[in-house]
Amino acid sequence: MSSGVSVELVRCQACHLRFLPRDGPCPKCGSSDCIAFSASAVGKVLAATELHYPATGWSAPHRLALVELTDAVRVLAIVEGPLPATGALVEVQRDHDVYRARPEPTG
Amino acid sequence: MALAQEAASLALEGVGRKPIDLLVVGTMFASGPHGREAILPRLAGVLGLESASGFRVDSSSGTGGMAFHTAALALETGRFDRALVIGAEKMTDRTTAENTKDLSASLHMSEVAAGATMPALAAIVTSRYLQRHDLTAHICDLASVHARAMAAVNPNAHFQKAVTLEEVAGSKPVALPLRLLHCSAISDGATAVVLERGKGPATVLGLGQGFDALRIIDREDLTSFAATRVAARRAYEEAHITRKEVNVVEVHDAFSPFSMITIEDLGVCGPGEGPGWFEKGWVGLNGRLPVNPSGGVVGRGHPVGASGLAEIGEVALQLRGEAGAHSVGTRPKVGLAQTISGIGSHNFVTILGREAA
Repeated sequence: MSSGVSVELVRCQACHLRFLPRDGPCPKCGSSDCIAFSASAVGKVLAATELHYPATGWSAPHRLALVELTDAVRVLAIVEGPLPATGALVEVQRDHDVYRARPEPTG
Repeated sequence: MALAQEAASLALEGVGRKPIDLLVVGTMFASGPHGREAILPRLAGVLGLESASGFRVDSSSGTGGMAFHTAALALETGRFDRALVIGAEKMTDRTTAENTKDLSASLHMSEVAAGATMPALAAIVTSRYLQRHDLTAHICDLASVHARAMAAVNPNAHFQKAVTLEEVAGSKPVALPLRLLHCSAISDGATAVVLERGKGPATVLGLGQGFDALRIIDREDLTSFAATRVAARRAYEEAHITRKEVNVVEVHDAFSPFSMITIEDLGVCGPGEGPGWFEKGWVGLNGRLPVNPSGGVVGRGHPVGASGLAEIGEVALQLRGEAGAHSVGTRPKVGLAQTISGIGSHNFVTILGREAA
């Protein structure tokens, strides 16, 4: 079950695309008529990787996961904790310019 | 600069020092604190081409492909008769961290902000590909073994030694499932070609390029490169051929599984069938369709600004019957080179053919 925590997404009123908050108009149709909405922060891991040679400023191993949220919105999130399996559920939270994923709390 | 000059001199000597009226140089890192600024006028000076016109292009790892297309399109206008195209990169005087950071400039900043690197995103693509087709990382090992076997007979390749499946599978993890021997290396290198108007043993039949969403989260399919599919379709259309008429291909395997994905994107086989072509040896020098006889990026090395042009140069050598020990079994009539920028955001396909002069 969802932990009840939410994450902010954006919906284009013209073409109904849902996407992560970003500067500029809808990436699909170019409409500026977009509104924010709250969606479940729980998503499914589509793929994850563990970097042993991370970019400057990051320590190894640095883990990243491609996570699918509500309405097929995808996010590339920094994994907190062990590398999640494909298909695992994680909870995604925004942290300034990045997103962080941790295992979905049980219970 | 020295690498570019050496390659250019060889190319100019190869055509008997015929006059050049266009110079196109492709480099990614030629600016900045490395003493390589103003490379275009400097090269024009040392090569005696001060009377030519010139352009410098940069499309990250696709730079060499872009340089060639720029020259070919410029010649098509009729304003120029003969172009010298150079792709060059000096990378080994920089640290791995510096190279990683600068190569990441070809990715979307929101993904770089999360610590994404080229290998990280290539690992995500590879994972999705393996999952979709129910494969294991063994197929990446196969692709690396193929690349290194080809490179071992190419005296211009960075890596002169073949590797075994066990060596690849046991190499250090870089961004799992990708290991060191699945990844292209940081290399120094340059390629130069002379391109002139008219027809000959290696004639441009078709050019195509394509874009894809810069950030991978915006891509519908991560198991294929849309930019390659678009570029290939345009190039085939322009050349008035189908992929069945192509006898040799050079693809941009910055990470070894990309060679399998790419032959699928080029229409050589269906989705998920690329690994079978490698397993059956159909991509060898005497196979149904030789793939990367030069060793590819994984075997030949990856001086980023040069690789795309090296791919095209290899196809030209094969068509001319001048590839030496890495010549494909039957001299090809038509060859194709494919080049990737970044993680597939801007790709180039070039089709060359043998035509009577």
